[in-house]
Amino acid sequence: MLWKRQIPILIVTVIGFLTLFGWFTDQPQIKSFVDDDATQWFDILASFAIFLGGFNLLKLQTQKILRKQEGWEYSIFAVAGIFFALVAGFIIKGNPDVAWGTHVSAKGTVFKWMFTYMVAPMQATMFALLAFYVASASYRAFRIRNFEATLLLVSGIIIMLGRVPLGSAISSWFCLYLFVLFSGILINSFFKNKQYTAIFVIGGIVLVTVSGMFMGWPVDKPGVFYLPYLQEWIYKYPNVAGARSIMIGIGLGIFSTSIRYVLGIEKSYIGE
Amino acid sequence: MDLIFNIILKLGKVDRRWIFLTIAFVVLIPLMYPLSMPIRATATTQQVYDAIESLPSGSKVLLSCEYSPSTKPEIHPMVVSFLRHCFKNGHKIYITCLWPDGQFMAEEALEEVAEKEFDLTYGEDYVLLGFRPGNEAVVKGIVSDLRKLYTIDARGTKVTEIPMMEGINRFEDFDFLFSGSAGYPGSIEWVQYASDPTNIPMSTGTTSIQVNEIMPYVQAGQVQGILAGMPGAAEYEKLIDHPGIGTSGMDAQSVAHVVIVLFIILGNLGYFIERRREKQDRGY
Amino acid sequence: MMKDKNFLYGSIGFIFSFLVYWFLGHPYFITERFLMFVAIVGFGGILIFYTRMAQRGEDIFLRTIPGLKAVEEAVGRSTEMGKPVLFVPGIQDMDQVETVAGVIVLGHVSKMTARYETPLNVPVSRAIVMKAAREACKESYLVEGRPDMFHEDMVHYVTDEQFAYAAGVNGIMVREKPAACIYMGKFYAESLILAETGNSIGAIQIAGTASQAQIPFFVTACDYTLIGEEFFAASAYLSGKPELVGGVKGQDMIKLTIIVILIVSLFLRLAFDLNLVNINILDILST
Repeated sequence: MLWKRQIPILIVTVIGFLTLFGWFTDQPQIKSFVDDDATQWFDILASFAIFLGGFNLLKLQTQKILRKQEGWEYSIFAVAGIFFALVAGFIIKGNPDVAWGTHVSAKGTVFKWMFTYMVAPMQATMFALLAFYVASASYRAFRIRNFEATLLLVSGIIIMLGRVPLGSAISSWFCLYLFVLFSGILINSFFKNKQYTAIFVIGGIVLVTVSGMFMGWPVDKPGVFYLPYLQEWIYKYPNVAGARSIMIGIGLGIFSTSIRYVLGIEKSYIGE
Repeated sequence: MDLIFNIILKLGKVDRRWIFLTIAFVVLIPLMYPLSMPIRATATTQQVYDAIESLPSGSKVLLSCEYSPSTKPEIHPMVVSFLRHCFKNGHKIYITCLWPDGQFMAEEALEEVAEKEFDLTYGEDYVLLGFRPGNEAVVKGIVSDLRKLYTIDARGTKVTEIPMMEGINRFEDFDFLFSGSAGYPGSIEWVQYASDPTNIPMSTGTTSIQVNEIMPYVQAGQVQGILAGMPGAAEYEKLIDHPGIGTSGMDAQSVAHVVIVLFIILGNLGYFIERRREKQDRGY
Repeated sequence: MMKDKNFLYGSIGFIFSFLVYWFLGHPYFITERFLMFVAIVGFGGILIFYTRMAQRGEDIFLRTIPGLKAVEEAVGRSTEMGKPVLFVPGIQDMDQVETVAGVIVLGHVSKMTARYETPLNVPVSRAIVMKAAREACKESYLVEGRPDMFHEDMVHYVTDEQFAYAAGVNGIMVREKPAACIYMGKFYAESLILAETGNSIGAIQIAGTASQAQIPFFVTACDYTLIGEEFFAASAYLSGKPELVGGVKGQDMIKLTIIVILIVSLFLRLAFDLNLVNINILDILST
């Protein structure tokens, strides 16, 4: 019971307090432990733990092949990949002029070949899927259901168009005309009076046209309707405000969870 | 009118595979037939450019590469342009990598710029210190004692035998830091553990999605500007007057964004028409 | 639980010791970080106060989080359909608090799967997470009296590489077609890939993460999303343990304290700029 309960809690509490309050001290040994040794101990643990994971993966994939379970053909690639990587990393260098260790990124080695022609294209392919998934997710999810969803939609469109060169080519006067038209729709839904709507829309269009003619139709003025300026403003102000508040909340959540562990309130790591 | 509504409704419920196909075409075609859209630098990109321009010639600049082939289209053009800008201004470049893949990316960038374009000497004009495991512990290690962390460089040469490593013992011996970052560990760790405590100025280039997280640091002045994704890379290429992959990718990105916006509008039109019809069926 | 008298003596002892250390010249203490030290001790004290308040049995109100209510429904749905539950504890290691929080939630989810006899599949990206997650599941199945249902391979390692892991999990989703996909932990770009694939197989999806950049993707593609601190409060909600519930209340009180400090600082700074006061609050706060 001592080994399974009290000692783990003691270790977590002592190391937790040491790491937490070690940041406030410049005592060389404690500082060295907190800044270097603690994280290096974790890295050493993680490096040895990779064997556990690797063997587990190998075991499951080999079992799948031997038992001819559904999709066992793909497991052959998984097992072959594991052995190929091991061979490229530890057995066959491919370039005798390069030392072990530096061979991972040196020209002409098997490992470098594996990275350039297998790992890199596969990583790029998986990441490229995001372009398609973003399109399908946006298409499915961006609906004007309520005020917040509308705000999300409008700011999303402003950012998407404002970030790219095409957005710079869209005149602010075009956005102003759109603004007048959408405001007309809002006026109509509030007052349900076609006369008011017509007066507003026609008046708005005339005002915008006259102003444009007077100013010479500059592409980026008025700045508040120019997409690149608008998206910069959204990034710098509402976005940062939201990001900061979420960051504070997340920081508090991390603090609270960590303190619970250090004080022994949260004991899920020993199964309680 | 009903015919138009029916067409919009059908388009509003299109199978996602048609969307995927459309996106594939709109990305591919501008890459093959460039539109050469004009690029205008934003304030944050200009800030990065100005920060590097303000460095005196011969400054010691630390470049940290933490990205992989998956984010190469966004970050690699930034890193390549950054190297061009620094070498043009006569700065010395020291490269570290917080990600293992970053070392491969750094090798590629150095081969393209330092070796082929500028014909510079390794060890005198630039050095690749390489990847070290440990995430933020590496950043802390560079701040406290770089030579304890890096005894040899990525090519196996002892750090003590590299001429440009003379006088470089810790982070404060550098004049500037640029982090090409795609996630963790990355720019945030550099700000928190290196740049902010030591007041060494830094800039960063990140993926578009990470800009949200870094913008508070830019607003607070802890980071001197940010290159935001591929548009940021293209803007920076324009500022250094050397268009590259970033610029050529912007045509495809522009058209793809417009198409996504059109799909969203179509989806919403279909949604409204359906709602209206449901209301009519219910007799409202 | 420590008695109030003992706790009070302990707190007084701590404060007294610190004062003695301070007046003895506070050797090795980095004075520039004093304000942060006070903040940590103060906030920790608030947390402990509300934790003890909850342990004494006082009623604490927590608003309903739909995503957490839906976890049990999701497991129930999987049981009815005879399909497994897929749980993804993020792609980072146990040194990240989000991963720790994810494994805690896994402990609760595995209790439900043990109770309802639903298969559970937990592909992980790190070997240490595999061990920790296995222990959490094993304990849960033991507590529910179903140790026979637990097998080690329900928690299995895929790969450390981000997109290879995403591809592996996608493959599991498409082949096994789980009825419920639960994503709880630290995620990066693979979040949308996982969520969209889960959407395409018709699974109910519940996500929880503190990765700011990925929250919008989960909100868009998943049925329920726990945003930021809702995710860290999940263990309190799911277990209902008073000490954890008290901790959530303490967190809210800390947030309120920060808001008050923000507003007071704003007005103090404004007064300083208008030359009404001589105190520059920014000098104090930046220590």
